[in-house]
Amino acid sequence: MVEGKVPVAQAIAEAGQPASDVRSLKRLADRAFFRKGVAVAVLSGIAYGLYSAFVTVAMGEGVWADWYGTNAAGLTAFTIVYVLGVLGSGINDSASALWAVAIAIAKGKISDFLRCLKTKPGVVMIGCAIIGGPIASAAYIIALQLAGSIIIPITALCPAIGAIIGRVFFRQQLNLRMGVGIAICLVATVMIGSQSMSVDAPEGLLLGCLIAFIAALGWGIEGCVAGFGTILIDYEIGITIRQVTSGLVNLLIMMPLVCILAGNVLLAPDLLGLALTDGPSMFFFAISGFCALFAYSLWYKGNSMCGTALGMVCNGAYSFWGPFFCWIVLGVIFGQDGWMLAPIAWIAAIVMFIGILLIAVNPLTLFKNSTKESA
Amino acid sequence: MKPLNYAVLETFAQTNEADAELVMERLKPTYGGFRAFSRKNIVESLMTAAANGLLCETRCIRGFSGELRVFYRATDYGREMLANYL
Repeated sequence: MVEGKVPVAQAIAEAGQPASDVRSLKRLADRAFFRKGVAVAVLSGIAYGLYSAFVTVAMGEGVWADWYGTNAAGLTAFTIVYVLGVLGSGINDSASALWAVAIAIAKGKISDFLRCLKTKPGVVMIGCAIIGGPIASAAYIIALQLAGSIIIPITALCPAIGAIIGRVFFRQQLNLRMGVGIAICLVATVMIGSQSMSVDAPEGLLLGCLIAFIAALGWGIEGCVAGFGTILIDYEIGITIRQVTSGLVNLLIMMPLVCILAGNVLLAPDLLGLALTDGPSMFFFAISGFCALFAYSLWYKGNSMCGTALGMVCNGAYSFWGPFFCWIVLGVIFGQDGWMLAPIAWIAAIVMFIGILLIAVNPLTLFKNSTKESA
Repeated sequence: MKPLNYAVLETFAQTNEADAELVMERLKPTYGGFRAFSRKNIVESLMTAAANGLLCETRCIRGFSGELRVFYRATDYGREMLANYL
């Protein structure tokens, strides 16, 4: 029981009203709130899958098709991997930021957005955006390049990291049952990631794994702290802060930085100009940005409504939704080969569902209820 | 003027207990024109704060029109958080 909480039955009795009536109303309200929290968190994973699919489409259209394909521009391997990765992420987050600002204006929340920027939770939200946006995303891309897809299960540790941070710093619930549920979800993610794992260990394996852990840590911190932050800041304002920060930092700081590492800082304005004026890819970036807006805002909201442990594993189902929507959008709609989901991905989805269920509901309670009903 | 969610939670630093109706009554003069200033939003904010241990329920009653009214007060942890962040 939460500290100082008066039992509802006692409180109702004190108020002199029919206890069963108010108690059942309260139970219904609590159940509806919990279900909404889980639904929001699951939807965030679905939106993340859609965002992944459309950002993949966008980075295969127009100038991107040349950069990643025939490469008539003569970009180096470093530029193709790192600079284009940061550019794609920056344009997606900037498109998402424009959607977020437009929605905030339409819903009359833009003045609250400006007010929040000057507050302590607003600054914390900016910090979370930098950690989870440019830093974790860049770490993920670099780790992927250094060690290959073996790092995917490492980055999938982020729900566990988020749940531990939530337990230590925000007194959130984390028990053995929830720990087992998180472990089951991690196994499911490993099953999905195992499809693309190569047998040969690349040279940068250890460094890649360490950098992948930075990505997991970054997303764990972001999910937990920003999720908690949406108690103090409206989640739609929170996501506006996140996407504006991430878009600007990616394009104005990370992009020139990786271009300097690539040996030509002028690449930054050149590539950015070409990408922004490319109609076909920008159309799909607008769609991916719209999906990313919901992927992150619902992630934050879900975490705050049902706790970081449950919220993050529901969102973590994106490891299934990502390949699933890539198959639907790229494979089925665009007719590209090689996006078909392997049977193991479907089995992993069922395993993940069991893991999520175990975190959300105590199976012993379900058993007790069914015994009572049958008696 | 403070952001709406701040103002909602700050109410509990100034009062022993309150529910969504009392919070709205208190904030209406300042935030009445906000589109987000609705009973549904305020109830959800309070339930979220309670789910995260910042508030705790004190009692429940039926309102005049039959709606459920849940009263909350700030926990010690909630007071500490509010003092740190708001």
